[in-house]
Amino acid sequence: MTPHALSRRTFLKATVAGAAVIGVPQTLRAQPKTFKIGAVHPVTGPLAEPGQACRLGAQLGVEAINAAGGVKGKGGMQLELLLGDTQSKPENGRVEAERLVNQGAQMLLGSFDSGSTAAMVSVAQQKRVPFLVDIAAADPITANVAKAVKEGQQKVQYVYRNFPTGSSFGRKAVQYFTEIFAEAKVTPKRVALMHCNDLFGVNQARGFLAAYKAAKPAWTLLEDDVIPWPEPPADLSTEVAKLKTLKPDVIAPITRPASAQILLPELRKQRVESLAILGPGSPGLYEAGQIAALKDDLEYVLDSVPWPNFKNPRTQKLAEDYQKRSNGRLFDTNSGYSYDAISIIADVLERAAKLDDPDAIVDAIHKTTFTGGLMQYGGPIHFSEVGDNPNAISTMIQILKAKPVAVWPKDAAVQKLVFPRPKA
Amino acid sequence: MAQGRGRAEAGLPAPQGLTAIDATLVAQALLNGVLFGGVFSLMAVGLTLIFGVMRVVNFAHGDMMVWGMYLAWLMATRAGVDPYLGFVLCAAALFVLGFLVQRLLVQRIVDAPHEMQILLMLGVALVLENTALLLFGPEPQRVRSVLARSTLWLGPVFVDVARLIAFGVAALLTLALSLFLFRTDLGRSIRAAADNTYGALVIGTDVQRVYAAAFGVGAACVGAAGALVSPLLPFSPPTGLQLSVASFNIVIIGGMGSLLGAFVGGLLVAVAESLGAVFLKPSLKELVSFSLLVLILLFRPAGLFGRRAS
Repeated sequence: MTPHALSRRTFLKATVAGAAVIGVPQTLRAQPKTFKIGAVHPVTGPLAEPGQACRLGAQLGVEAINAAGGVKGKGGMQLELLLGDTQSKPENGRVEAERLVNQGAQMLLGSFDSGSTAAMVSVAQQKRVPFLVDIAAADPITANVAKAVKEGQQKVQYVYRNFPTGSSFGRKAVQYFTEIFAEAKVTPKRVALMHCNDLFGVNQARGFLAAYKAAKPAWTLLEDDVIPWPEPPADLSTEVAKLKTLKPDVIAPITRPASAQILLPELRKQRVESLAILGPGSPGLYEAGQIAALKDDLEYVLDSVPWPNFKNPRTQKLAEDYQKRSNGRLFDTNSGYSYDAISIIADVLERAAKLDDPDAIVDAIHKTTFTGGLMQYGGPIHFSEVGDNPNAISTMIQILKAKPVAVWPKDAAVQKLVFPRPKA
Repeated sequence: MAQGRGRAEAGLPAPQGLTAIDATLVAQALLNGVLFGGVFSLMAVGLTLIFGVMRVVNFAHGDMMVWGMYLAWLMATRAGVDPYLGFVLCAAALFVLGFLVQRLLVQRIVDAPHEMQILLMLGVALVLENTALLLFGPEPQRVRSVLARSTLWLGPVFVDVARLIAFGVAALLTLALSLFLFRTDLGRSIRAAADNTYGALVIGTDVQRVYAAAFGVGAACVGAAGALVSPLLPFSPPTGLQLSVASFNIVIIGGMGSLLGAFVGGLLVAVAESLGAVFLKPSLKELVSFSLLVLILLFRPAGLFGRRAS
């Protein structure tokens, strides 16, 4: 049997038909089956641990939406993640965002550290790609864009954030400090602030100091003796010796994982006594790897962080799945906020009038009132005129028997707060 | 809220006068600087040895040190070997790694232009870093040692036993390295090859073997330094770059190729940073060490103990 030869006519017909299909304008074709989200995180480099947690959180979010039938209002449209890696370098935020937009990303998500997130903002604004910041606390990320829009330099704001800002972290931390001291019936006169001096650390420290000045609480922060250190540090022995001379009642450290691993053993070695180590908000004081590495040094440490609402059965179920998928890691701030960001995007797409018009997506973002988040919120997720969710708040957690648990405010607490810490 | 409850009620001592505290703080900072400087020195000695002999700048130096740290961590977590004993094995393993890197890779580019050497060594650094990332993950690790938990007190000044041991071993290893270079045949061959490669070839020295041995010894130094510092400094695969930059700073201050320069440079940088943390904002302490670098380059371009290029 001889194979069918392709005749000239058949070839011409096929070619013309193919060209006709390709030539049809994109808008006339059927609705795309997937919506592409460019997810940029620091998956390698010094921030790889939280970056990988963010990526897995977002992936689980997409899997959950797709498994539940996709974006139902858009014919069951599926979500697809295009993955980007900043390598923990701020300048790569822009490079990766551009690459993913060129590959077809219709929305951006990212990127954990404030430096690279700020770099992604310009791509979102220039290319008109709605960008939901899942994690990054520096206030200017959204505030600068909102200001530019208000002053008429830019038409539309494409950058929104579902994460507490540096200033809101500060306000919550001061509030929790005040409430915890009141509960314990103490008024510390020497609260010492120490912080890493990267963009995150400086912003957190400023937010905390500003909130302290505004609140004028009964307790006293040593405002003139703040101790910053270069991040990552090689040694913090002199900084701790300096802290010791301040005779602190309460130590308030803003750390990164590596600096926490130097700071806490050093506090023990130099026998710096205090009522508590009470973090105004930072990583390094609660992650599974940190607890394994620091063991007793982390016991009773308190930290004000955005935290999953483990009273929600959906959170508990997801935390179990996350643990299986991540070789036993804890579902926490990073994975949780990235997961919630995907849920918010799905909700926005559900309500957006058109998906091929970024301004229609922005309209839908503005009208968000979402209550399906798994993190601890102060109310429904919505976006202020600056583009931030004012209900993204932190919770005070404490390491008790080598596990981070929510202890304050009382309605979020799953265990009773231990303050002051028992003497060794 | 009840007012006036604080330190006194919690049983904590009241703050003291500032003058006494400052003197103690300076003494403490000096001591911390000297002790930590010992480890810096050992790290830089390895780099300067390799450069002195081959004129190859080892950009993978910090990453080799990180591998020394991970080996110490593996031995401590899997076999319960304390890093203050395990450093010998780390040094041996890194000697083999250095020897192989030299034989298989560096040997091919010894006479190539500097930019090619830099590219190759950066490539080796990337491979080492990413292999570590693949095998050990991105979380910062720290080796737990019983000795690293203990401290001695000299009045108000405390001595960290871990730093003291690291300093002592680093000083001994640097001394041993000097003796090796000046008192053994292989050491003399290494110095001969460093001084005049062609001369060494003419008198029958196996220069390739000498180069490989020197690279191996340099890597062994940094492997030992890695193990010794692993209970003090948390590490993750990207830590290598930070360590490489610190090593280059020290070696340039001390004088490229000078063992004594590397040792003194390490102490100088660590003490300068430690005192900088006392007298300036601690976040500016690195400014002190890099300002020192600029000053040295301005007034002694060849470094403190370096020889001027003829």
